[in-house]
Amino acid sequence: MALAAEITASGILMGSIFALVALGLTLIFGVMNVVNFAHGEFLMIGMYSAFLISTFLSIEPLVSLPFVAVVGFLLGIITYYLLIRYLLRGPMIAQLFGTFGLMLFLRYLVMFILGPNPRVLHQGVLIGKSVSLSWFTFDISKLAAAGFSILLFVLVSWMIERTKLGRALRATSIDAEAAGYMGIDTEKMNALAWGIGGATAGIAGGLLANFYYITPTVGMLFIMIAFATVALGGFGSIRGAFIAGLIVGLIMMVAGYYLSQIKLAFVYLAYFLVVVLRPRGLFGW
Amino acid sequence: MVGKMKAVVGVLKDTFSFNDLPLSERIAFAAFLVFVFFFPWIVHTSYPRVVMIRFLLFAMYGLGWNLIGGYGGQVDLGQAKNVGFGAFATALMITWWGVPFWITVPVGITVAVVESFAVAYPMFRLRGHYFAIATLCVALVWQKLFLFWDWTGGARGVELPIKSAPNFTYMQFGTIGYHYFIFALFMAEFLFMNWFRKSKMSYELQAVRDNEDAAASLGINVTWTKVKTYLITAAMGAVGGSFYAVYHLYIDPRCVMQLDLSILIAMTAMVGGAGSIWGPILGAAILIPLDMYLGALLGGMGFYGIDFIIYALIIMVIAAREPRGIWGIIERARRRGYVLRG
Amino acid sequence: MFLEVKNLYKEFGGVVANAGVSFGLEKGEIVGLIGPNGAGKTTLFNCIAGYYKPTSGKVFFKDKDITGWPAHRTARSGIGRTFQIIRMMERLTVEENVMVGAFCRINDRERARRDAQEILELVNLEEQANAHPTELPIATQKRIELARALAIEPELLTLDEIAAGLNPLETIQIIDTLRRIHKEKNLTLLLTEHVMQFIMRISERIIVMAAGRKIAEGSPQEVARKEAVIKAYLGEKYAKGK
Repeated sequence: MALAAEITASGILMGSIFALVALGLTLIFGVMNVVNFAHGEFLMIGMYSAFLISTFLSIEPLVSLPFVAVVGFLLGIITYYLLIRYLLRGPMIAQLFGTFGLMLFLRYLVMFILGPNPRVLHQGVLIGKSVSLSWFTFDISKLAAAGFSILLFVLVSWMIERTKLGRALRATSIDAEAAGYMGIDTEKMNALAWGIGGATAGIAGGLLANFYYITPTVGMLFIMIAFATVALGGFGSIRGAFIAGLIVGLIMMVAGYYLSQIKLAFVYLAYFLVVVLRPRGLFGW
Repeated sequence: MVGKMKAVVGVLKDTFSFNDLPLSERIAFAAFLVFVFFFPWIVHTSYPRVVMIRFLLFAMYGLGWNLIGGYGGQVDLGQAKNVGFGAFATALMITWWGVPFWITVPVGITVAVVESFAVAYPMFRLRGHYFAIATLCVALVWQKLFLFWDWTGGARGVELPIKSAPNFTYMQFGTIGYHYFIFALFMAEFLFMNWFRKSKMSYELQAVRDNEDAAASLGINVTWTKVKTYLITAAMGAVGGSFYAVYHLYIDPRCVMQLDLSILIAMTAMVGGAGSIWGPILGAAILIPLDMYLGALLGGMGFYGIDFIIYALIIMVIAAREPRGIWGIIERARRRGYVLRG
Repeated sequence: MFLEVKNLYKEFGGVVANAGVSFGLEKGEIVGLIGPNGAGKTTLFNCIAGYYKPTSGKVFFKDKDITGWPAHRTARSGIGRTFQIIRMMERLTVEENVMVGAFCRINDRERARRDAQEILELVNLEEQANAHPTELPIATQKRIELARALAIEPELLTLDEIAAGLNPLETIQIIDTLRRIHKEKNLTLLLTEHVMQFIMRISERIIVMAAGRKIAEGSPQEVARKEAVIKAYLGEKYAKGK
């Protein structure tokens, strides 16, 4: 019983971070039907930014989060203007390979500059601390990450549902051409989606950096999980991404408990089954 | 009977004839073949010979991928699994039972084709990104399983027994032997593709790629056309894997079933020009030497991974500017030339 | 009966596109299917050609029940079609587009090519054979669609708004071509159209649909006088005001 509860709890904690990684991916897909293969690399850069900022400026990793968000935002915007804009004119296969190229580019650029060795954050209020409940203990850093994830989901959902900017974003996602006629600068909306996508991935990275090895290749792992998450939740669905993130977290933890070496295989299998059985995802229409 | 003879003659003619191509292409290709054929006699150092073998291997991989990815327009990011099936069939059968290489090849092909058939129908319910990611997932599941299982050698991999003398049963030679071995395999796949591109199936496949609804209205079974192609691609990947096993004499799921391999195979065709017979050859001619010289040179200087950075830049530029790859650039230039002359 | 549609229903998640449509075609007829936007004409076409599965009802072709057959099977059984929105194989040449159609019944490439060339002559496209379809004007692309559909040698040809977007001269030309093909190939034609002039001139019989139902049927002259038809097109006021 205690074990089941512990697995469930850590699954939910991990899952809320997966959800946060998936948030940007699903947002970008929703607005312009592009799957960003480089999303995991945005996350990786978020991790390194948090690491570098807090190490070299000797500041608390949590305080570095706003800076990390800015880095992610800029990264998203630059990506849009330098690459995605051109890819959108081409066929789907070009978009796939374009963002794939970006993924390789960012990964190996970071590896080139900072080397392949894993880094770890040692100093910080969250690091290495845990809270004990009667049955089990939580890493504080994971708990905080889950908290931030929920906060960001609420924030982004609010922005999209309630603000004028969000309405313009949604209009662009439904019909970019019509939105253009209504005077919405769709180019700017696309860039904004990439900015928000980059920022959320960056923050996810900044949070992960508190309890995960920082390596240039970490993105691949998370992008695959994010694909599964987004597919499960329905490409483009924000609420779906959150719930799906939790489900994927649980699958990983349960599978990981019994068959830790191939727990990822279960996640891939989950993606495969979901897209085949319910191509629109659990919450898509 | 006569009709059958005629059909066979027709197939042979299509296989070996290049008459429908412009003279310039035929001359360039002939020159290329002569160059590759005499390469071991022109170049005596071992590294360039290794580069040449790798180039031919990837050109061959690319030819296979070009079927589903280029002519079929289905972005398959899981070809490494088929390479893996071929490589493991060959490596395991030779190590366990000493089965001759040429018997292991059809086994590898069978495994790849059967597995591909099993996943093809659910997979081809998907389109675009969904399909691409699904192929990636399936390949990764296999890699994880092959790493996890014991009978596949797990992460330790499989070492093939080394024979003392050059050997046609197990296909072990010196570099020159491997050169002609892979050259022969490459030519076989190339000639197959030369037949294929003129075949009825090729037209149907391209129709499916360009517009599925229109293809169906002309009596083409869209799903079956894709599945057939996917199976042929799988078979071609497995052949390459079998070669890889006896060439390197060591395999593990990280080298033959790796995602990077799937990507590089797809890129070979994409960079050169997907959907054209020359595309994979051009792509491999650029990417492989780039990787092996620049990568080795800069890697030696401590700049690890810079070859991938250059790869990545090439992919991004091509995706953004000319999705049809280098062959697309050549064709466009040629068409412009016609316009100028006209 | 050559083609028979019996009480066909098609729903999309609660939205009824076809609500019990029945009609029949005799061999060799030219029948027009008209109706205002959203009347369910294209849905009906897609149900006949196998692009949609009808929710209920039956389709018989040459006395065979073809209800729910996939599109490639209806094509092979002799139903050709063109699309409302042009669907070209853009990386193939015009000739190759038509060859793909010919491959439906011919395995040999060179025979398929000869067939394609003959058909291209029939629709006056022989000069564009080596061009790529997307480089050509809409009217030409419509002819390519027609040629491609003819290449499978259909017995029934269904044309979804083949004259839409054409200017009056091009419309007259396509009517000519269709009449010629109809005679030469012994075809049965089922057409939908918005362009009234076109449909009235070419059809021997007209079926009128509105809101997913058949509301009238008859010769062009008869149909034009029916109150229900005028109501469907112009609204209650005009029908009563008459």
